[in-house]
Amino acid sequence: MKKIGLIVNPIAGMGGSVGLKGTDGNTYKKALKLGAKPTTPQRIEETLALIKRKDLCFIVAPGKMGEDYLKKYDFKYEVVSTTIGETTSADDTKRIVKEMLNKNIDLLIFVGGDGTARDVYDVLGLSIPVIGIPSGVKMFSPVFALSTYAAAEIIDKNSNQFIEKEVLDIDEDAFRKGKLGAKLYGYLRVPKNPSLLQNKKEPSNVTKPEAISKKEIAQYILGRIEPETFYILGPGTTLATISDVMGLKKTLLGIDAVNNGKLFGADLNEQALLKLMAIYKKIKIIVTPIGGNGFIFGRASKQFTPEVLKLVDKTDIIIVATEDKISRLECLRVDTGDVEVDKKLRGYVKVITGNKTETLIEVK
Amino acid sequence: MTIELFKNENPYLPADNILQAAEKGLEVLNRYSKSASLNALKKQLGKYNNISPDRIVLSHGSDLLLREVINIFSNDRNIIRFSPSFFHVSINQSIKLINIKLSPPDFTINSGLLLSQLNEPTLIVIDNPNNPTGKLMLNDNLVEKILQNKNVLLLVDEAYYEFSGKSFVNLIEKYPNLAITRTMDKAFSLAGLRFGYLLMGDYFKEHFKDFPSYLATPSIFAAIEALKNKEYMVQNVKKILFEVKKIEDNLLKIGIQYFSGHANFILVKTEIPDFAIKLKKAGVLVRDLSDEWLNGYYRISVGLPEENEILLSMIKKIKNNT
Repeated sequence: MKKIGLIVNPIAGMGGSVGLKGTDGNTYKKALKLGAKPTTPQRIEETLALIKRKDLCFIVAPGKMGEDYLKKYDFKYEVVSTTIGETTSADDTKRIVKEMLNKNIDLLIFVGGDGTARDVYDVLGLSIPVIGIPSGVKMFSPVFALSTYAAAEIIDKNSNQFIEKEVLDIDEDAFRKGKLGAKLYGYLRVPKNPSLLQNKKEPSNVTKPEAISKKEIAQYILGRIEPETFYILGPGTTLATISDVMGLKKTLLGIDAVNNGKLFGADLNEQALLKLMAIYKKIKIIVTPIGGNGFIFGRASKQFTPEVLKLVDKTDIIIVATEDKISRLECLRVDTGDVEVDKKLRGYVKVITGNKTETLIEVK
Repeated sequence: MTIELFKNENPYLPADNILQAAEKGLEVLNRYSKSASLNALKKQLGKYNNISPDRIVLSHGSDLLLREVINIFSNDRNIIRFSPSFFHVSINQSIKLINIKLSPPDFTINSGLLLSQLNEPTLIVIDNPNNPTGKLMLNDNLVEKILQNKNVLLLVDEAYYEFSGKSFVNLIEKYPNLAITRTMDKAFSLAGLRFGYLLMGDYFKEHFKDFPSYLATPSIFAAIEALKNKEYMVQNVKKILFEVKKIEDNLLKIGIQYFSGHANFILVKTEIPDFAIKLKKAGVLVRDLSDEWLNGYYRISVGLPEENEILLSMIKKIKNNT
């Protein structure tokens, strides 16, 4: 019997219809005043109605955070024993997910948006795979299933292939003002989207599993390390694998500097980077695209400011990514806020995808 | 009834004379195929492609020929492929593989970029037209520039040649480093036979001298018959291309973005969630490319006129309900 946690953020997505671009913080009450209606119930019920497997036992959040939807269907379930108030909050989500973790769930289904994904990440990290059912206003994090159908398909197929996807933190206030500022918040393990059509003739373009691709990338980098050079490693699990292979503990979300096998600075900000670059002349930056749109600079790693990037030669920027990731991107993108710097970074670049494999892709 | 529009197959059955030829092959199933039959097939293919039969290698499916080319020629060469493409290049660890990513909306090759990658011995594998975009990737000028570099081998897959009308077979005599794969799966309606062949320049020819052709007698007989009476294929290709245009015109009216190509399929882009699943529920199977490529892209093979009508009415319905 597979134990599946189910938690619903009943207020996610309410800001969208009334133009509020999110329900983080106090915006929720404003959304209600504007006549916003919950969109979540329909989303989760669509998925539940499509699940065909019967060997599932749901560990579900109480009331409108889960049980209310599940009890309409013929599934075995157990409610985690917490009560929730009239209005629900991020703390409720985190507390309940923790209880589910203690009940040894195999998989967590959460319904919500980027905010809910962050709450789930805070508790689970990479420990348990999740399926995000999109229902928020902002779903920039690529952890969400493509749709409710896809979510049901993944559950039915019992996929055991997982990949790590980014959880992004979008600044809602900036987003309301028409700006998109995103920070890499963490990673969640999500099932690979299975093929929705059987008997396809063509094999996949992706030849290597993600873990092998990452190890190969690390080998490639290690084989070319120059002792005199300072390497500045951007955020992401691919970069973390490189530092793991070096025997170093890198910050997952921060920017770290490495020289001659030693960690020279962790979680560096712009000032620290500029200082480092003023002292040491041989600098190389290693980055990986973050998020589904393929940004290498200007989104999740704001510390790489135009001032920092002006000091680096384009040939000293090494881009790495797994084959799976690169195959799903139309192109790479930069948006540093400085037209000249963006211009310098544009054009075709080489992305290392393995020890002997590379992809040439356009930066736009 | 399910309408299958996801494998780029030809919706038209082979003509009766072709089916009868295959049946003749069944009558001698206790025997291995005769070299005289294989030679007769090569002769027909030579005539069809205006090329000497000794430049032709026969195989059970062109995929196998591609694998063979990679096995033989990639030992001390880089491989360049394009993404997306039909080719699945599974190679050993010692080979350097360079993937060139084609970007929407044009999906064209940056010639300068490609030529700049040819400083070391290289094998380029490319499908022309490309699958799944349907775009013609190569022109005479670029191909000649590539082939003038003696360090480079170029393998072009022309599986959809009969639909695109574009081939580089006329350069085979001139350039030893050019090879072309073809298939009779598509235009000739013989996907079930899995019959493909290689057309080779001198350099490839040397290495394929002893390549054995294991083909089933029914396949050989059917292929010979199809080539002898190619008018049937020509008419079907015309009908399919007419349908391509019809589907494209209707997609435009419905408001679905497509990319014009040169094959028997159409690349479609739509933000409609679960587009392929919704079509599947309506009994129409199309290829969802989000699995290994980009979200929102679908490849639709062209079916019979009545199947295409159903496809279009379903797309219209889905679009209106979104």
